[in-house]
Amino acid sequence: MGNQELIVEKHSERIHHGLEVLPTLRHGLPAGLGNKRWTAELILATYEMALTGDLPKNGLEHKIGDSGGGFDVLGWKNNGFPKVDQDSVDLSISLNKRGEGRKIEIPLPIYGGGMSFGSISLNFMLARVRAAQKIGTYTSTGEGGYPDAIVPYRDHVITQVATGMFGVREETIQYAPIVEFKYAQGAKPGLGGHLLADKVTSEVAKMRESSMFTSLYSPFPFHSVYSVEDHKKHVDWIKTVNPRALVSVKVSTPTDVDMVAIGSYYAGANIIHIDGGYGGTGAAPEIAKKNIAMPIEYAIPKVHDYLVSEGVRDDIVLIASGGIRTADDIAKAIALGADGCVVATAEAVAVGCTHCGNCERGRGCQVGITTTDPELSQFIEPEWGEQRIVNLYTAWTKRLRWILAGFGLKNIRELRGRKDLLVRYK
Amino acid sequence: MDSETSKPSKYERFRIETKPAPHVYQIPNKFDVSAKKLRLAAMLVHEAFEYKLNKEVVLSRPCIYGVFGGRFGGFKPLKHKCVGCMRCVQEYPHIMAVKQSDEYKTLGDSFWTPEAVFTIWNEASTGKIPVKGMGYKGAFGGEGFDGMWTDMSEIVRPTRDGVYGREYISTCVDIGRKPTRVDFGKIDQSPSSVQVPVPIIFDDLPALEFDVWNAVGKAARKLGTFFVTHDQTRGEDYRERMIPIVDDNSLDETLEKRPSIVEYDGERSDLSEKLSDSLQSSIVIARVPLREESGLVACKLAREGVHGLHLYADYHGQDYSEDPKHISESLKEVHQLLVKEGLRDQVTIIASGGITLAEHVPKAIICGADLVGIDTTVLVALQAEFLGETQKRGTYKLRPRKIDPAWGTQRLVNLFGVWHDQLIEILSAMGMRDVRRLRGDIGRSMMDAELREHSFKGIAWATKN
Repeated sequence: MGNQELIVEKHSERIHHGLEVLPTLRHGLPAGLGNKRWTAELILATYEMALTGDLPKNGLEHKIGDSGGGFDVLGWKNNGFPKVDQDSVDLSISLNKRGEGRKIEIPLPIYGGGMSFGSISLNFMLARVRAAQKIGTYTSTGEGGYPDAIVPYRDHVITQVATGMFGVREETIQYAPIVEFKYAQGAKPGLGGHLLADKVTSEVAKMRESSMFTSLYSPFPFHSVYSVEDHKKHVDWIKTVNPRALVSVKVSTPTDVDMVAIGSYYAGANIIHIDGGYGGTGAAPEIAKKNIAMPIEYAIPKVHDYLVSEGVRDDIVLIASGGIRTADDIAKAIALGADGCVVATAEAVAVGCTHCGNCERGRGCQVGITTTDPELSQFIEPEWGEQRIVNLYTAWTKRLRWILAGFGLKNIRELRGRKDLLVRYK
Repeated sequence: MDSETSKPSKYERFRIETKPAPHVYQIPNKFDVSAKKLRLAAMLVHEAFEYKLNKEVVLSRPCIYGVFGGRFGGFKPLKHKCVGCMRCVQEYPHIMAVKQSDEYKTLGDSFWTPEAVFTIWNEASTGKIPVKGMGYKGAFGGEGFDGMWTDMSEIVRPTRDGVYGREYISTCVDIGRKPTRVDFGKIDQSPSSVQVPVPIIFDDLPALEFDVWNAVGKAARKLGTFFVTHDQTRGEDYRERMIPIVDDNSLDETLEKRPSIVEYDGERSDLSEKLSDSLQSSIVIARVPLREESGLVACKLAREGVHGLHLYADYHGQDYSEDPKHISESLKEVHQLLVKEGLRDQVTIIASGGITLAEHVPKAIICGADLVGIDTTVLVALQAEFLGETQKRGTYKLRPRKIDPAWGTQRLVNLFGVWHDQLIEILSAMGMRDVRRLRGDIGRSMMDAELREHSFKGIAWATKN
């Protein structure tokens, strides 16, 4: 083994070891770790769940962060005593509620959010698709194209069509069980994607049909869509290229997000995916993250209630993302009116992300997640990453079943819109 | 080809020339990284055996930012390079520790958070918009501007691509009175309004340092904006960009110099009359502290013919009411009363106090201002030293340091450049071509308190155990 391989092996082993040791708190709570949304305890709890597949047993907070609002001030009326057998609680949801088209069901109310090739390493991408396959759910390509390495997992890969159209080809649409139109994303609503020059390596440039080491900005919006009618034309295009594909429409959360949702329904979408501002994994101007569009906690009831009032709620799937960190966040999102959630950051934390936000500097992520650096990318072995993500979702499954059983609910679909089961704290 | 059409266009797109103006005074390290030295030495010995004295492998360090790249590696880490990625802690939790440094944590005051100070320093230093990965990391909402989100347009929008785009988004605003009708009797007497390319001016600073004022004056000239000053000897080389605050002592001097814009204490009606009579070509703006009756005062002044109102709160953005409110609230009240009375379009509103971050500009405009004035932010950009609370205008504790005016000018130009770009980002996301359309457009904003009550309606209150 050459020195380079030895160095990668050394650091890889050390990082993996650290992810096991840190949640034990043997060395205390790392003072510099975390922030208000992803607290140090939440990060370590996620490491622990990704290691064991179980909820933390040493009291680490795994349910909420410390942001002082939204999901963090919501709790459950549940007193903790299960009223039905937890193991019998059904967590599956359907991703197509329309009378026509392919029926797709996922065993958990979760699928993976778009993180593009270029913004994340291929190894992490592989870990995610392998985990999705193992669980029986899906993960999204993001807008950076469809690397050949993930083609074998295509039955579990959502092809994203975003405004930059990077890597969108006829065959990548034909591969897809679900095609996701990304009109906007919560972390940079109204601004388009942003991949900084350092990350545009030759492979990334080739995939995106662009020049190496040149910053890539996706335009905003789709320049061919200025109305719901134009949007329908898009949906029809996909359904012509791949009649079996379900269509998801990913949008941000403006004041009229309810109108956008109903428009998407009438355009023929199967899934309306609303993305709040407090999530996101890619580079985004700091001003956009905090200040533009409403948090997902407020958007979900707005959309749910409107779809109910229009009488179409049971014909469209409402998926929420953008700040979903824990199993409790998922259950709360569903109680507020969503059918399920899209998760991305938590998967990154499962494989060692510290939420430090330095993804865009120089070589990118120090533990090989959001990087295209060939050496750093090797820290995430796809099999290892796959197991960590599967373990995290296994732990979340237990928590979701516990919450539902406490209310005597036999399936997660019964939780939808049950705000009466929530409490809020001052 | 028609020779007329082949002439090169004289059109130049507005842009602010930013360039690096690195910190002159050392800034604190954000993170404090340290190693337990005995354990570090033991680990090196252990790894030397494990990797059979393979120096390259043993000495390969758990940091991609070069914190351990110094001569003494982890024994003397290069703390200024630490970005808090925590990889060293992940790899060696028994040896390494990283925390926010004490110097960083004590930066600023009760209003200026360390993060806000760092943001302004970096914007002034680099001239670049702060961009980071992995989502938002702060509090959910908060008071004042923190409890407010701007709208965005999903698909229907006239503009695209934000700061990278090809379409023009105007950030120009006019300062001055806008007559509701043509009055032929006064057509030669009404002062014309003055346009500024960015809706920001420099408000009066309590600093006395000539270098600071020269930097402000020169930056105002470069940027095509104005600076407000109570002392006309400050920045007087840039007098065409000066908005003097007139009092009894400076009245004669002001009348003699005939500035294009002048401010006075809104409670001094005698001064108002003198200025209007003697400076008929100047734009006269009344300075009004925001408090309980400010709306009525503003209406009265507007009816009396003042050209603009400079509404100000304290440096922490709190108004002067007995039960202080955030400037966003009191500004909204004044704006809405002026609208109700049919007076709003006649006067320009400048808002200042607590405008300390780029996002405060569009938010203040949504609350009803035409443009904003910045104050303590200027001193922070120039690396002034925090000595305590900066809230009170009279006794603020922010001491300017000695600066080179050229450096200071570039820092302020950078700050405006970055704020302008971020304003464009917000306008672009909203699908607006012109910042003037944003004024008072509450409907294109979302308030935490309102959304919470609407979306969480029906959820019972509880107390945490």
